[in-house]
Amino acid sequence: MKHLNAKQKNILMNIVAVIVACIFLFPLYWIVVNSFKLDNEIFAAVPTFWPQQFTLKAYQEQLGSLSVTLKNSVIIAIGSMALALCLSVPAAYGLARYKVRGMKIFVLVFLITQMLPASLVLTPLFLIFSKLGILNSYFAPILSTATISIPFVVLMLRPGFLNMPKELEDAAKIDGCNAFSAFFKIALPICKPTVITAACFSFVFAWNDLAYSMTFNVKEAMRPMTSAIYTFMNQYGTKWNSIMAYGVLLILPSCFIFVTMQKHIVEGMTSGSVKG
Amino acid sequence: MKRSLAVLTALAMTAGTLIGCGGSADTPAAEQPAQEQPAKEEQAPQAESTDTETAEAENSGAEGRTEITFWHYMSEDKEGKFVNEAVEEFNNSQDEIFVNAQYLPRAELMKQYTIGVVSGELPDCGMVDNPDHNSYASMGVFEDITDLYNSWDEANFMEGSINSCYYDGKLYGLPWGNNCLGLFYNKEMLDAAGVEVPTTWSELEAACEKLTTDSCKGLAISAIGNEEGTFQYMPWLLSSGGSVMDLTSEGSKESMTYLYNLIEKGYVSRECVNWTQADAEKQFAAGQAAMMINGPWQFSGLANDAPDLDYGVAKVPKADDGDYASVLGGENVAICTGANVEASWTFLTWITSKEKSQEICKSIGRFSPRADVNVQEMFEGDPLNSVFAEVMPNAQSRGPSPDWPEISAAIYTAQQEVFTGQKDVDTAMADAQAKIDAISQK
Amino acid sequence: MGANKMDRKEQMLGYLFIVPAVVYMLIFIGYPIVYNWIVSFQDVTALTLGSDTRDFLGFANYKAIFADVTFRKALLHTFVYTVGCLVIQFSLGFLFAMFFAKKFTFSKPIRGFIVISWMLPVTVTALVFKFMFAEGNGIINAILLGLHIIDQPIGWLLNGNTAMLGLIIANSWVGIPFNMLLLTTGLNDISTDIYEAASIDGATGWQKFVRITVPLLKPTIMSVLVLGFVLTFKVFDLVYVMTGGGPVDATEVLSTYSYKLSFQLFHFGEGAAVANILFICLFLVALIYLKTISRDEMM
Repeated sequence: MKHLNAKQKNILMNIVAVIVACIFLFPLYWIVVNSFKLDNEIFAAVPTFWPQQFTLKAYQEQLGSLSVTLKNSVIIAIGSMALALCLSVPAAYGLARYKVRGMKIFVLVFLITQMLPASLVLTPLFLIFSKLGILNSYFAPILSTATISIPFVVLMLRPGFLNMPKELEDAAKIDGCNAFSAFFKIALPICKPTVITAACFSFVFAWNDLAYSMTFNVKEAMRPMTSAIYTFMNQYGTKWNSIMAYGVLLILPSCFIFVTMQKHIVEGMTSGSVKG
Repeated sequence: MKRSLAVLTALAMTAGTLIGCGGSADTPAAEQPAQEQPAKEEQAPQAESTDTETAEAENSGAEGRTEITFWHYMSEDKEGKFVNEAVEEFNNSQDEIFVNAQYLPRAELMKQYTIGVVSGELPDCGMVDNPDHNSYASMGVFEDITDLYNSWDEANFMEGSINSCYYDGKLYGLPWGNNCLGLFYNKEMLDAAGVEVPTTWSELEAACEKLTTDSCKGLAISAIGNEEGTFQYMPWLLSSGGSVMDLTSEGSKESMTYLYNLIEKGYVSRECVNWTQADAEKQFAAGQAAMMINGPWQFSGLANDAPDLDYGVAKVPKADDGDYASVLGGENVAICTGANVEASWTFLTWITSKEKSQEICKSIGRFSPRADVNVQEMFEGDPLNSVFAEVMPNAQSRGPSPDWPEISAAIYTAQQEVFTGQKDVDTAMADAQAKIDAISQK
Repeated sequence: MGANKMDRKEQMLGYLFIVPAVVYMLIFIGYPIVYNWIVSFQDVTALTLGSDTRDFLGFANYKAIFADVTFRKALLHTFVYTVGCLVIQFSLGFLFAMFFAKKFTFSKPIRGFIVISWMLPVTVTALVFKFMFAEGNGIINAILLGLHIIDQPIGWLLNGNTAMLGLIIANSWVGIPFNMLLLTTGLNDISTDIYEAASIDGATGWQKFVRITVPLLKPTIMSVLVLGFVLTFKVFDLVYVMTGGGPVDATEVLSTYSYKLSFQLFHFGEGAAVANILFICLFLVALIYLKTISRDEMM
């Protein structure tokens, strides 16, 4: 490498990076490409890298059940997102702006709850929800998936609110704004990009959830896409083209969000996961 | 470190105080999302009654009629559509009762019955796989219908089938449809390889050897870790003189060793431990397997997946020194605890009546369990169904035992352990027998 | 006096912002965890689920699970899986971070794109890896056969050890970009002056890595490893969808076994007991994590 000049080195690095990315992202390609194959090509002993006969059949077969599961996924993801934002954005702001007593405990609550997995609370939440009679309703998955986003969003937004110049709010308060309008009219607009990123994360977390939805909502009419695809796999385990077609539809929102706001997502991911 | 510990203790205490008012703390929390986001409020009430509402939308003639729910596990793209047709026919045949048929995958259905006992979310009536019937009856999922049955003038079922509905001397359901297993074979492939339809285990192995190629296995079976795996294993077990109650006998071990050899030699795909019977059908339909073990309910699937496939059906090959054996599969219908018994009974006696039983069973690939329906006669001249019709009368039932699900788990686990090479046949069978012994001593 | 009043008002306002979220988390995570401990000491099965009086069993559920071979296997598998994943995703994540830290034209966008695997639903990830690892028509066997690395197709998910390896590979696919990003943040914080100074002193690339990068990155490495442990240890979706804990129980982990006990066998008491063992393991590691970040002055 040493005898290469800077330009050649740059080209070489780019080529290596592209190759690495192609290998790494191969599973993603594989999902998409197999969703366009016919049954007999899927069953062929030697897999093909590109569909011999490009077909939308696998998608057409899914359309019937999709209207229900898609609606469920959207309701659950949006409901969970709205609930999580209503609670966590003010909390992040409060933790950044007010020197309240016990602040460290509050931050700890979020840090710890963020680490605890769904499988830990599945049994008790199931028993509690069954007592409340909200199994097989949208409440159960919305309430439970919000617990994934809330700590993440709090930890992700707090640094942003901390870095915001306090003078702006002070000036607003002098102009007669109270604490709440200072939050809504000053702080929120300034941190808008981060809050939107946070919204995307909450949406994706709820959209991706399998454990909660699968456990609390067993009725077919209440099932979101994640648990529908899992049930589908159990019934038609070898119809990989149909499974992959379903998979493509399931990854679309994540991919869309990712492509449109990649930079914010990457930043949010690091701060939401680590910093207190 | 010390500080974090102190904080955590405080945290644990805060959580602790919550238990005290647990009951009251739950309720407001549950209402929270409705207050937080008005958009959701509109959807939520709709959410709780989605099932009935969608069903109503499809059939607007439900007003003023007694509505009952019927659960089944026949998937909508296959036999399920015939179930729906039958239900629709019933709904149109009278104007007192309206039945909502609801499909749930088999595993979900089982879970729902179990949890439904306490959560109170049981349907009015539903379908149950016959080996599981006893177990659910013992849990109190179903209503005792002994008296209703005794006063029914069409009460005439085959002994093996109606027996699966009895628990503790009381009747908890009615047989709906029977099935059993056979050997499906791809005529073209057998002809090309110059192979006769195998009738014994040695012949089957020899045939597999000739039929197996790089892209095609000789035989497809399902050895999945659930009831289907046990169901598929039973004909082999019984044919070599083995028994569920004596898995360590020579005959029992012989059957397991035989199947394991087929896999080891590459005649049967190792993936069979993940395959359901529907997957085996897909393999056969796609020409990935020259033969498969499966049942008459696959006819509709095969017609759909491979309309041009020329195939035949024979009995499951017998052990070289044994007899043909088959196992009774099928579904019962039952009325759930606390349901509308009267309306459900009317519906169930309609679908299991002599006339309807013949029709419905034929369309869903089952055989009528009624003693007054002669299935041999019915399918005379039908080269496919007649094979199953011939096997049917001698098919042995699983159980009946309230512990069958656990016994079955011991059997399919042993099968999976052997097929995936985790245990040898002797150990796996001995372990399974030990589990079954422990269950029966309970 | 007035300042004090102001202070109290500020406190109240602060609580108004913060408390709803905290209370929510305590109700839906804190309370269930406590409730889980109660259930684990009770006789809760499908038959007693609805009744208000459940028999107190003492440690019977815990005794039962520790006597259970599958539980001991699940405990071991969970650790094997976690350590396996950590080794792969950390080392490759580190490699990726170092590579993409080099300033070349497309370093940032390509690095960004790799992160997408972290955002995808784990259900889909598990399914595609299950498909790729299939014995008969899986792409991985096809490639290995084509390159003559193997001469017989491998039943990846049909054999205990290879099934675990398959799970580790699939999880690493999700974990690598995560590790890479966190380590990149750490790398960016290291001033280039130090490297330049070292170069002047004649240090080789490897020496710079061992003497400068690793020591300066130590806090980041610690938190990446501990956080990675917690995130991996709690695996559920991936195992549940890809192998279901099988073949037989060869890839059963604590979370899937707890789920199985509760929701397939309806032994809620034992399911809760297994979940509590999982909780203890996570809690101990979480304490280490909190210790590292409080030293990091994050708190």
